[in-house]
Amino acid sequence: MMSPNAALNDPVFRVYAVVALSLLVFGGVLLGIISRFLKQEMSSIWKTYRSWLIIVPVFFGFMFAGRGPVIVGTTLLGIFGFKEYAKATGLYRDWWITGIVYLGIIAVGLTSLVANPHGGQPGWYGLFMTLPVYIVALLILVPIMENRAKGQLQTLALSIMGFIYIGWMFGHLGYLANDPHAYGYLLYLVFAVELNDVAAFTCGRLFGKHKLRDRVSPGKTLEGALGALAFSMVLPWVCRFSFPHFGVLQLVLTGLIVGIGGQLGDLAISMIKRDLGVKDMGALIPGHGGILDRVDSLIYTAPLFMHMVDYFYNQPG
Amino acid sequence: MKHWRYDTAEDLEQSMIERLKHFPREPDILVYMIRSFAAVCMRAWLRIYHRYEISGLENLPSRGSFVMVANHSSHLDAPCLISALPLRKLNHVFPAAAADYFFQNVPRIWFAAVVVNSLPFGRTVRVRQSLCLCEKLIENPDNVLIIFPEGTRTATGELGHFRPGIGALLAGCKVPVLPCYLDGAYAAWNRHQHIPRPKKLKLVIGPPRIFDQLTPGKESSAALAVELQQAVQELATHHEHHGTHLQNP
Repeated sequence: MMSPNAALNDPVFRVYAVVALSLLVFGGVLLGIISRFLKQEMSSIWKTYRSWLIIVPVFFGFMFAGRGPVIVGTTLLGIFGFKEYAKATGLYRDWWITGIVYLGIIAVGLTSLVANPHGGQPGWYGLFMTLPVYIVALLILVPIMENRAKGQLQTLALSIMGFIYIGWMFGHLGYLANDPHAYGYLLYLVFAVELNDVAAFTCGRLFGKHKLRDRVSPGKTLEGALGALAFSMVLPWVCRFSFPHFGVLQLVLTGLIVGIGGQLGDLAISMIKRDLGVKDMGALIPGHGGILDRVDSLIYTAPLFMHMVDYFYNQPG
Repeated sequence: MKHWRYDTAEDLEQSMIERLKHFPREPDILVYMIRSFAAVCMRAWLRIYHRYEISGLENLPSRGSFVMVANHSSHLDAPCLISALPLRKLNHVFPAAAADYFFQNVPRIWFAAVVVNSLPFGRTVRVRQSLCLCEKLIENPDNVLIIFPEGTRTATGELGHFRPGIGALLAGCKVPVLPCYLDGAYAAWNRHQHIPRPKKLKLVIGPPRIFDQLTPGKESSAALAVELQQAVQELATHHEHHGTHLQNP
């Protein structure tokens, strides 16, 4: 179980904390050298780096504080992520609809927090998994109670997408905190997804020739995506200490989930932004955009990863 | 199939500070929930800690926009006036707050915009634009604008001079104006004190006035400001002499 004490005694947590810290220092030094000797315009990269200097300690702070804080933190990210989505789609004007989705996201957090009434690991797995049923049922009530029909399919579709994708699928990240191997899973997932992003960017810059999906995200290249996939397939072996019980099949699946899912998550949010005609989903994190721009890959990978490990190692009630 | 039309919020890509400084704001229900919760707490605080009392509630128009003007001696003034209005009007109540004071640092902006729902008013620069904002606000139905025409918290506890800006806003305007007098706020939390003291607060709401027959201009503005100042002063003296009488007419 995650707690400050367990974090201090957990070798996996310590390794990741040291690696993250060294990456921050290394990145800072590297950026310093590049801007000092190559005299390139770096202000936007520095801005991104400064934000990392805040994100990383906050993330490790929550991880250190334990299971409850991780779930609460994920829920807050979900709430403010949905707020960005609601503002971008115009859904925020509908108080009842957005109110119900916020309640739904809080319910995602609560079902992850409470004990399982059927015994076993903490977290009410059954209700957590069936939440979309109740939230969709509630959402559909709104136009019926208000006796409206015009444009309601759009409102409902947008809100259901918002709840399921941003609230519930992203909420799986918080639910992972209930696993006995929470440190290894959570830290690996977040670490691997971010590195996958970096790998895609770097490979794209170095070898990029063919556009991956030019109408969704014109900057991404096929070479970048393949490079990142190759990188993500190797990473589970390098970080095998995070999940010593994984066999070859699980390691391969982990690589595929992060390598393919991470980039699909990225493309999914890009597609939403393209359709809405906005550049970023918000401006909360300088140099990154909004919350959704930062966690886009995690939304896609967290549930896939959680259900993969559940299938092999836990058979939750 | 026709494509959907999305109605993206205009402030989407602004940072939180820019977004809160911008007026009119585009809040979603999270902001309303925080504001309602804060309003309930504020009312409880005023009732319990300051034994807050209100008289003249019957003077509040039940529908349509109106303006409340009051003496200004404390940060408690705006919460007191907001608390005099029914909770369901909460999101339509806009106290004008000094842009150069309340919209300067993050906690103050957050408090002024999210909790108090205030309208950033430029006292020294962009005065005309600020007055325009106020005008648009009261042209909409069912908005309440709260203005402290002294422009700043009194340093002595005495009622200060009303600025002519209030006259420029209200001359020739069909919207009713309610002069209000808040008693006890100077003793409870004046500008020289750091924390509020548990002194009694009393609000007197005067009968509404309408200045629609006045033609807008420099003189009429000044005259209107003087008239409103006298009205508030009258409430104050009347309250001091017949405090109990006003409560139970």
